[in-house]
Amino acid sequence: MTQDSPTAERLADASPAIDRVDEDELLPQLVAHLREHRSRLREEWANRIHRAHLLEAMTPQETTDETTSVYDNYVEVLETGSVEALQDYARDLSERIIPRGVETHEVVSIVLLLRDVLARSLFEKYQRDFDFLNRVLDAYEPAANRIANTVAVSFVEERERIIRQQQDSIRELSTPVLPVREQLLILPIIGILDTERARQLTEQLLTGIRTHRARVVVIDVTGAPEVDEAVANHLVRTVDASRLMGASVIITGLSPKIAQTLVTIGVDLSKMHTIGDLQGGLEEAERLLGYNSKQDGTAG
Amino acid sequence: MFTANTARVIGRSVPVMEGAELDGARPDSDAAPDVASLLPMLRRIVFSRVGNEAAAEDLVQETLVKVLAAANRIEPGMLEPYAITTARHVIASMWRSQDTQRRNQHRVVGMDHVDAPDERLLKEEERAAVSAALEHLSEREQQTLLAHEVSGQDMRSLATELNTTAGAVAAQLNRTRARMRVEYLLALHDAEPPTDRCRPVLYAISGGDRRRQREVDAARHVLECELCAKLSEPLLERRPEGENEITIRIQHDADVVRARKSARELATRLDFSRTDLTLIATAVSEIARNIVRFAAKGQVYIELVDQPRPGIRIVARDSGPGIPDIDQALADGYSTYNGLGLGLPGARRLMDEFTLTSEINVGTTVTMTKWRTEG
Amino acid sequence: MDEGPGLVSILRQGDNLIASIHTALDDSEMVRFQRNLIEQIGRDRARGVIIDVAALDVLDSFGARTLRTLAEMARLRGAETVIVGIQPDVAFSMVALGLGTGTVHTALDLEEGLAYLGGTHSLPAPDGTEPHFRP
Repeated sequence: MTQDSPTAERLADASPAIDRVDEDELLPQLVAHLREHRSRLREEWANRIHRAHLLEAMTPQETTDETTSVYDNYVEVLETGSVEALQDYARDLSERIIPRGVETHEVVSIVLLLRDVLARSLFEKYQRDFDFLNRVLDAYEPAANRIANTVAVSFVEERERIIRQQQDSIRELSTPVLPVREQLLILPIIGILDTERARQLTEQLLTGIRTHRARVVVIDVTGAPEVDEAVANHLVRTVDASRLMGASVIITGLSPKIAQTLVTIGVDLSKMHTIGDLQGGLEEAERLLGYNSKQDGTAG
Repeated sequence: MFTANTARVIGRSVPVMEGAELDGARPDSDAAPDVASLLPMLRRIVFSRVGNEAAAEDLVQETLVKVLAAANRIEPGMLEPYAITTARHVIASMWRSQDTQRRNQHRVVGMDHVDAPDERLLKEEERAAVSAALEHLSEREQQTLLAHEVSGQDMRSLATELNTTAGAVAAQLNRTRARMRVEYLLALHDAEPPTDRCRPVLYAISGGDRRRQREVDAARHVLECELCAKLSEPLLERRPEGENEITIRIQHDADVVRARKSARELATRLDFSRTDLTLIATAVSEIARNIVRFAAKGQVYIELVDQPRPGIRIVARDSGPGIPDIDQALADGYSTYNGLGLGLPGARRLMDEFTLTSEINVGTTVTMTKWRTEG
Repeated sequence: MDEGPGLVSILRQGDNLIASIHTALDDSEMVRFQRNLIEQIGRDRARGVIIDVAALDVLDSFGARTLRTLAEMARLRGAETVIVGIQPDVAFSMVALGLGTGTVHTALDLEEGLAYLGGTHSLPAPDGTEPHFRP
């Protein structure tokens, strides 16, 4: 059991030894096997990840690095029975890959793939001795499932933590109202707008108009997935109130969905000054303010 | 704050403004006739704010004298605004001195008088009124009251004498004082209540007994009865206004401003956002104006509530003609006066809760609430 | 509230009148202000009128209507009106109430109002007319 040799021969060697193995020595044996065939099994796993179109947000080198680490951690858990190290690693991994756009189902899938790759190698190794194979699998499966569980939970927890953190930081942004240049404000609306946040945005924008003496405001809603009718109503009121304070409002990045909501609540979109994207909105704003636009000095 | 800001802006961008065009343009104006023509307006302003007619007339005269003295220094166009401001100052300083008096006032006597030259005469009248009021009390009530208030006998020994508890004596004394105040005011005005309801209503108001006031529907009666409206004012003023509530009589244009200012002040205690404060003040402005326009008189009661969460509730009552079609009145664009028709539906949009009840020839009640947003 | 000679001051600057409301006005005072200002527009042959409402804590339906009527009457007398200084919370309440200033121009403050009347700014009326604006 110490060298990587053709299967049939190896199994013939191994069989007599197996009978003498105690239950609590099954896992160490298993671990030895996985360590022994580490590079082949890891390779096989990486191929299957690739074929399943998982982790495509990562480069091949990153995938290799991470799968190697996951493999080693996996084996370590089987050996020590402690998931703590794995938990830490999984959180750390999640933190690195979540911003890359890796989804929960991908993480769960790759861990299950590894479980299967390793299980298959066990089938292969012990196929002659069905009884012993069963005992090995009895030891392996609960441990493997526990690992899969741990990784998935850690990932989801980490994801939630990051989302909370992002929400907090969005909320904590004391001035989402950005003075880009004299008399021009941008209000980027990012993320879900609930009534409370809409109310805060309004107060910040209206007082911002006063503080920065704004004559033009560009409200960019590109980052707002959708809004309910109450929030849409609030936004329209904000636009009208800005006008009463003497500021013109340009709305950019209006998605068809939000436009539809606005129409539903009876907003006359022709009364709203809308422009496709933020860049166009800024150019229009500068034109209104009497600056020459970059590309075309004759506008206005 | 803003005035300073304006001054800065003016100073910077239009320095000519304080120049010749303004000051020296019309130096010789005949001020005297102008001042006389201010009289009706000043009367209206002062009388809407000061209930006591004699005092009000005094204040009008005082204002006129001040305006006249300053007339030469005032631009012709500015005479009217100057007079209005002066009137307000005069009223305010009267209120200030009244406040001082009220803090030191005797517990039985509920009326205050502005420092008047004919003080002796008033004292005579007062003495007569007090004894007339005393006559309306039962012998036992008189004795207890006098023993406590005049001879200074404490409640415990009174209780022993009367074979009762000190608490009962205190409660009885309170009731007696409440009646005494009412009778005193009636005697002072030389008035006999026109209806059977008047005395119970006035007693309830005088005693500050909420439950009793509801039982006799005091708020409604005060709107309907001229005498009780007049008498309830000093009775309400005497009672220390609760920290969390205020009642404002609505009859004149100026009362609309008073009501919305009071609402804002009260709401400020709950840490409403600035925007919410303005929404509340605007809603109060709309419903108070409705009272002036349609009902001629009524009242706005404002209170802070804390169930189920902190908020402010406004109850506007009038004894007007009532609203025949409430749905129509709450629909946008409905208007029976020369406004925008936004009064009621507008106020409803500004508040979280809004209910309106109305009875033809009885009156209308609007109840509206704004909750403070959590967080 | 105690500053100034009165509730309202009307000052003249060149062809323009600048009317500042110093404190909350009740309805009668508002109407009187309207009347006085219109008279003075005629007397002074003003071409522009700035109404500074920054000191108003509330602009309700009556107040807004009065200002609108005032602007319309001023227009008939040949003067253009700009309303300046509407506070953020007042602006929001007006909109929530269902009010605008109609076709009346609004500007942030006196300075902006004067710039507008002086033709320094080419911005259109900020109330709903931008889409049709062609410089």
